[in-house]
Amino acid sequence: MNQTTSARPSPPSPSPAPEAAAAARGLSRTYGSGPTAVHALHEVDLDLPRGRFTAVMGRSGSGKSTLMHCLAGLDQPSAGTVTIAGTTITGLGDDDLTRFRRDHLGFVFQAFNLLPMLTARQNVLLPLELGGRRIDREVRARLDHVVEVLDLVDRLDHRPGELSGGQQQRVAIARALVSEPDLVFADEPTGNLDSETSAEVLGLLRRGVHELGQTVVMVTHELEAAAHADDVVVLADGRVREHLTSPDAETVTQALLGSALDGSALGVPVGGGTR
Amino acid sequence: MRTVLLASLRVHTRRYVAALLAVGLAVAFVVATDALSSAARSGLNAGVGAPYASADLVVGESYGMSVEDEERAGEVARGAGGSTATIGRAWEQLTSEDGRQLDAETSIGTVSTDQEFRWQEVVSGRAPTRDDEALVDERAATSRSIKVGDTLTIGSGSDVLEVTVVGVAAPASYLSAPVYVPWEALRELPGAQPDVVLVDAGASGADVEALTADLSSAVGTSVRPTAEFVDERRTQVNDGIDVVSYLVLVFAAVAAFVAVLVVANTFTILFAQRSRDLALLRAVGARRRQLLRAVRLEALLIGVLASTVGLVVGGLGGLGITAAVRAVAGPERIGAVSWSPGWWVAAFVGGVLVTVVASWWPTRSVVRISPLAALRPEEPTHAGSAVGRRRIALGVAVAALGAVPLGIGIATMHLWLAMLGCFATFVGVLVLGPVLVPAVIRLIGRGLGRSGAPARLAVDNAVRNPRRTAATTASLLVGVTLTATVLTVMATGRGAMEADMDQEHPVDLVLSSTTAASDTVLEKVAGTQGVEQAVGVPGTTASAGDLGEVAVLAPDDATSAATRDGGAALTVGADEVLVPSDAKGLGDVGIPERLTLKGPAGVVELTTRLVPSRFGGAFVVAPATLERLTPEPEMQAVWARAESGADADDLGGSLGLIAREGGLELTNQLDRRAWVDVQLDVLVGAVVGLLGIAVLIALAGIGNTLGLSVLERGRENALVRALGLTRGQLRRSLGVEGLLLAAAAGLLGTALGIGYAWAGVRTVIDVAVPDATMVVPYGQLALVVLVAAVAGLVACIVPARRAGRIAPAEGLVAD
Repeated sequence: MNQTTSARPSPPSPSPAPEAAAAARGLSRTYGSGPTAVHALHEVDLDLPRGRFTAVMGRSGSGKSTLMHCLAGLDQPSAGTVTIAGTTITGLGDDDLTRFRRDHLGFVFQAFNLLPMLTARQNVLLPLELGGRRIDREVRARLDHVVEVLDLVDRLDHRPGELSGGQQQRVAIARALVSEPDLVFADEPTGNLDSETSAEVLGLLRRGVHELGQTVVMVTHELEAAAHADDVVVLADGRVREHLTSPDAETVTQALLGSALDGSALGVPVGGGTR
Repeated sequence: MRTVLLASLRVHTRRYVAALLAVGLAVAFVVATDALSSAARSGLNAGVGAPYASADLVVGESYGMSVEDEERAGEVARGAGGSTATIGRAWEQLTSEDGRQLDAETSIGTVSTDQEFRWQEVVSGRAPTRDDEALVDERAATSRSIKVGDTLTIGSGSDVLEVTVVGVAAPASYLSAPVYVPWEALRELPGAQPDVVLVDAGASGADVEALTADLSSAVGTSVRPTAEFVDERRTQVNDGIDVVSYLVLVFAAVAAFVAVLVVANTFTILFAQRSRDLALLRAVGARRRQLLRAVRLEALLIGVLASTVGLVVGGLGGLGITAAVRAVAGPERIGAVSWSPGWWVAAFVGGVLVTVVASWWPTRSVVRISPLAALRPEEPTHAGSAVGRRRIALGVAVAALGAVPLGIGIATMHLWLAMLGCFATFVGVLVLGPVLVPAVIRLIGRGLGRSGAPARLAVDNAVRNPRRTAATTASLLVGVTLTATVLTVMATGRGAMEADMDQEHPVDLVLSSTTAASDTVLEKVAGTQGVEQAVGVPGTTASAGDLGEVAVLAPDDATSAATRDGGAALTVGADEVLVPSDAKGLGDVGIPERLTLKGPAGVVELTTRLVPSRFGGAFVVAPATLERLTPEPEMQAVWARAESGADADDLGGSLGLIAREGGLELTNQLDRRAWVDVQLDVLVGAVVGLLGIAVLIALAGIGNTLGLSVLERGRENALVRALGLTRGQLRRSLGVEGLLLAAAAGLLGTALGIGYAWAGVRTVIDVAVPDATMVVPYGQLALVVLVAAVAGLVACIVPARRAGRIAPAEGLVAD
């Protein structure tokens, strides 16, 4: 199946689809002000369905990292709303937002994922500990399961410095999955890895979606990475260019090429860099 | 390289704040000391010449002269047609005419009735013209409310001087006293001590040399022209100030040492953080030597900048403190500040040297940076490397080596050896710091860790880099160790001195006379505020042959219990009598081996034992002896024991009134105790205050290390914020980290301080008071640890705020 949904013009904003894990409405993010202002995101409307592995793609400066940061409550948008699992997180205070992240979201970052002074196990359990949750039998069972799926059983007592890049990313994935969050955000999770390890990590993320029932949003600029995803959102110049459901490689390439041609043809300043 | 150097200085100046602060404070400290000592010097110097100005010759040395020489000098000079005046001094009790004790013991100066020799400036009333007239210092007149026309009683017991105040003198900077009386009157007091005799050759001005020769042959002390004598006095006064200045410089040295630690640590961290930049420079073609020269030049510039700031701050601070002291102590005590270029140059050069020396080691590490480091995509933040075995071995070896002179020093009571040993063992401890400090932090953290994730993160962060942790706390460790040592030694010294005092002055206040005391007096004394216990001592009046009528006391068990030594000083045999050393007439008669006491009922002959005066000049016998002297003993004296903390002067004043009403004399021994207490308090306060500057520098260092760590951990902090650590929790975590560092230094320093204090007690105090009991001032030491911990908390306010401000997303992408 090869269904293509074009990006909708922003207004009027429909209410978020009930089955969406995350939804953005009229989401804008501007850095600076006046003539030097950079519009990293421009009135983005987006629904991310539950139980899917979605890749957000785009050229450098297309606003994909900003989109993820805003969706994940790591950055405050200039306008618009973000709703995750029925909670509108835009407008929450810093402490409430932090607590929300802790209890509902998981993160896998590009390179710096683990605290160097903690062991892998301590890193995995850190969000639970920060939330003051007791490590009970249920959590432990889940930990054992996740660790087994990720093949980290004999690595748990190592510190990050003693782990390879791929192992470090697996620990980060374990951390993101162990608390069963509503949504896992992955920001260029394979940016620092060779292709073989990348494939392994992406496969694990996919298994997290399909075997553990998680929802994963991944920001990437690599086509091979996007190929592991169920859906692909293509961003260009701070707008959603395409939202492809279960596309094939060719469709994605075309969508990306199109966005690239568009961007240069229109001469729109490419803003922000990868924020 | 100059572009790079200037650019990096510009960019990193903020990170050098602690280094600037540490060096600047030490430099400022030195310059301010110069300001204060020069001001004190000019204040004193202005007054030194005045008292001697009118004389041709001065007879006497700086340390006073004998009464015989004083008399002979006067005779010879007057015989040759000249005139003389004696400058002298006595320490006596001062009482107002209504019986108010103005001073338990104060200095009484001299004023000449001869206008020529009078150096005091009379501001109201007139100068004394007769021997029973006195001049009062303006300040003393105000503080003790003495007016012209008042009658003052100088001295206690039987030898007292009654004088009328006829004038008020302007405050003096030199030879000042609250009350001045003519020497002719003062000499009658047993404690009066002549200082020098001023001689005016009079009309026979040409014969000064002959007079000098005559005087020199007549007296056993030196005779000199005034100018020569004044020069010597001035030198002595200046030497005294210099000694104080140099003592203060010892603390400046401590401050400089702490500054070295802080600066070295700052540079180490900065270069570690900049290693990628430096590696890049190497990669694009900077030679090792170029790099090394650049960073050393950077350190030099920082040193110059810090020292300059220190000079300015110290100069202004010195002027400010001098002005403040002048406002409090009066303009005659402290004169104008005169800067000495030597001090400024020394302070500046010292500050620059401290910076350069401190940065020497850290800059060496720059050479070791490989150009390859720049090519690594991400510099991984190392979890603390394990402490090398060589370091442990070195630390243990240095400490063990130091223990040898320390042990020998203690055993032989050799102060310098013991100090050397202390210093060496301390260096050993500093070397072992990366093992010791994290261990202490883990120990404290074990309790904290259970209180939640922020505290646990704080403990992990505090110990992750043992060397940095140790280096950060080392500076505070120095300050706390010294403070704890001083406090403990002082407390022990105070304890030893108090035990000594208890023996020397077993009774705080004695009301006695040769007549009996009444029950009313006893009741009044017992009812006075500040009196813990008052007892009547049974006794009688007896005739003691050539010594005349004396008071005889026979303390019983009840009275013994009221003494501070439990009656130990009152132990007297059945055929013994304790004769006080200041008994009247003793000097003329000498001490007879056997003494016959003739009481109302009988005569006893007793063996004498001379004792220091402790009971108001009374003789002490056993109760059985008293029974043989009189069948009906009377209350011969009232002894009062003061509550702890009672003011000696207040109590003396109140009891003085009661004594006078009851026809008794008051002997106040409490004031000696109080005087020693005040001296010790001042000493402890001064030392702790001076060490404060070192502690301040150390805290700037802790704040800076935390600040730099926050910069370094920007991504980590962003990560934990993304994962769910609230802003408040992050701040709290950093707060706990600062607290842990400071508390660890506080605890370790206190433990070390107690140890060194023990060594100090064994080598210093044992010389004076053998086997002094160690007194550990737990309260004060707890306060030191608390202050250190709170200050550590304060030091991380700024870094914690900065860390909290970073948005999680910002921190994650910042490279």
